[in-house]
Amino acid sequence: MSGDLLAGRLIVVVGAGGVGKTTLAAALALGSAREGRRTLVMTFDPSLRLKDALGVGEAAKDEPIRVMEAGSGFLDAALLDAKHTFDRLIRTYAPDAAATRRIFSNRFYQDMAGNLAGILEYMAMERLFEMRASERYDRIILDTPPTRQAMDFLQAPERMMNLVDSKAIRFAMDPWWDGKGEKNLAFRLAARGVMELSDRIIGRRFLLDVVEFIRAFAPLFDGFRSRAGEVRNLLKAEETRFLLVAGPGPDRVPDAMFFLRKLEETGHHLGPVLVNQVHPDPGPGSGGDPGLVLLRFLANRDRRGLGLLRSLFPDGRCILPVALEPRPPADLRTLGLLYERLSSTAGE
Amino acid sequence: MSALDRLAERQLVLVTGKGGVGKTTLTAVLGSLMATRGRRVLLLEVDPRESLHQALGTEPSGGELVEALPRLSLQNLQPGAVIEGLVREKVPIAYLVRKITESPAFHQFVEGAPGLKETALLGYAYRVLQSGHRPGFDMVIVDAPATGHSATLLAAPGLLAQAAQGGQLGDMAADLAAFLADATRCGVLLATLAEEMPVQETLELIAMLQAKFGLRPDLVVANGLYPEPEPSGIQGPPGELLRARRQLNMAELARLAAAWKGPLAELPLLPLDRGPSLVTALVGRLEEADP
Repeated sequence: MSGDLLAGRLIVVVGAGGVGKTTLAAALALGSAREGRRTLVMTFDPSLRLKDALGVGEAAKDEPIRVMEAGSGFLDAALLDAKHTFDRLIRTYAPDAAATRRIFSNRFYQDMAGNLAGILEYMAMERLFEMRASERYDRIILDTPPTRQAMDFLQAPERMMNLVDSKAIRFAMDPWWDGKGEKNLAFRLAARGVMELSDRIIGRRFLLDVVEFIRAFAPLFDGFRSRAGEVRNLLKAEETRFLLVAGPGPDRVPDAMFFLRKLEETGHHLGPVLVNQVHPDPGPGSGGDPGLVLLRFLANRDRRGLGLLRSLFPDGRCILPVALEPRPPADLRTLGLLYERLSSTAGE
Repeated sequence: MSALDRLAERQLVLVTGKGGVGKTTLTAVLGSLMATRGRRVLLLEVDPRESLHQALGTEPSGGELVEALPRLSLQNLQPGAVIEGLVREKVPIAYLVRKITESPAFHQFVEGAPGLKETALLGYAYRVLQSGHRPGFDMVIVDAPATGHSATLLAAPGLLAQAAQGGQLGDMAADLAAFLADATRCGVLLATLAEEMPVQETLELIAMLQAKFGLRPDLVVANGLYPEPEPSGIQGPPGELLRARRQLNMAELARLAAAWKGPLAELPLLPLDRGPSLVTALVGRLEEADP
């Protein structure tokens, strides 16, 4: 287990919402650039927080924006937007203009494409693939969207591959959907015992829209499938490290454990765990001041959390506290200071 | 009319906000408050890893209804199970139900169909509130997913109704969309911390709720405020930390108040762990603050 914060050519920063992933990802990326690496930080947090800290705007949704340069190293930042990336993918990979038009004019695509469950993760995966393939970077640091429930990003390649191979898709691709499929459809669905579900519950028009979308989308499937496979391999590769950011205090330990277990079970490589926003011990002082009472409680709470996490991983895993500072980093200078504090804690 | 009086008239309240701002605790706080006002309240949690029960000091729900206090119950809801229940109800033949719910295509549909899980969750809340339902509830409070996803949650029935015109699912979704659009029956409590990004997201969500759904939160709660340090109180680095954090809270609170003219309640960061005593303390503070 390496304490080196910047081990790995791809660093995936994971953790629950609100724990400071984006800021830490940005600080690490800045540190990497300063060490002379060509570095890209990617965020697909819908709140697009990185924008504020790095001074990048909407344009970073199309192409990475240069944030700073330091000798041979530099830092680029890219923002991810699901619909944006989806549209661009279709323009890039659709076989011809007619296919592009068919997809763009599909009602299901218009209404739903940006809202599809997990779409942000698929699109992040595509974007990651694209950036990796460009070989413009020595190191990519990927900030992931806040998710408490699932490692959606990790599952995205698998889900995409399953979806493309799924019965539902092959069902939709059956030739009997062609021509005067309406009558056929009713017949076939009834034959499969699914008519009740489709007609009474889902509504036939919805099904037909989806089927039409799948058919329009079909020429792109093979590409999606093979890229998804490559991203899955990349995420499990030796050169990739998952860096977990956890909140302070015992209440947050189950979150951290969930991520760590999941990552290990699925055969991913873990980097250090950063426990962020830990309240420092205020030291001795006259007892009654409410501010002091609160700080003592918080410092004690956060110490308990850290102790609990360490006791659950007695194997010497690198678990680093990151102290809560009076002011959060707001620009490159303070982000740089944060990186220096991180690397000195990691060096201890 | 105070914000809490207004909330007490709602049937469905979504408690939403950025991750880590204390939504779950505030759900318990609002639920306790409404139950003491005589409402029969159900708290719904959607996260498969339960934490709402900790706030109220009960056993985990495991999907069942758990009574935490008189007139206050909680339930952890798995959307997949709700959808299966729905199929069972709509399809009268047991053999078909099994065939449907056991088929991989069904699971892929439930996982992948946009808005289906969200609609199922809200649909469950809607049904619990119908007069014939046993046990009866006057109010459902949903510990809603983080801000980015609460838009998806609210939009889901409308989108689904539009997409699935005609089917029973479409009709149900349309009913639900109409219910959600009724501001006298459905409300939103928005929780935030007085920090830059949470406030930013809160303002974005307020604007989005207004633009997309014509919805205005009944109450915005600025949670976890650092206390005003006494001038002669702690000094040195701890004093600086406390003062800087307080200052940051105040600046962000001012920014929030400048853009949000509706009811805003401030709740302090208290030296208490998550649990019933924290909920009790915050109930008191929220009643005092009631804007």
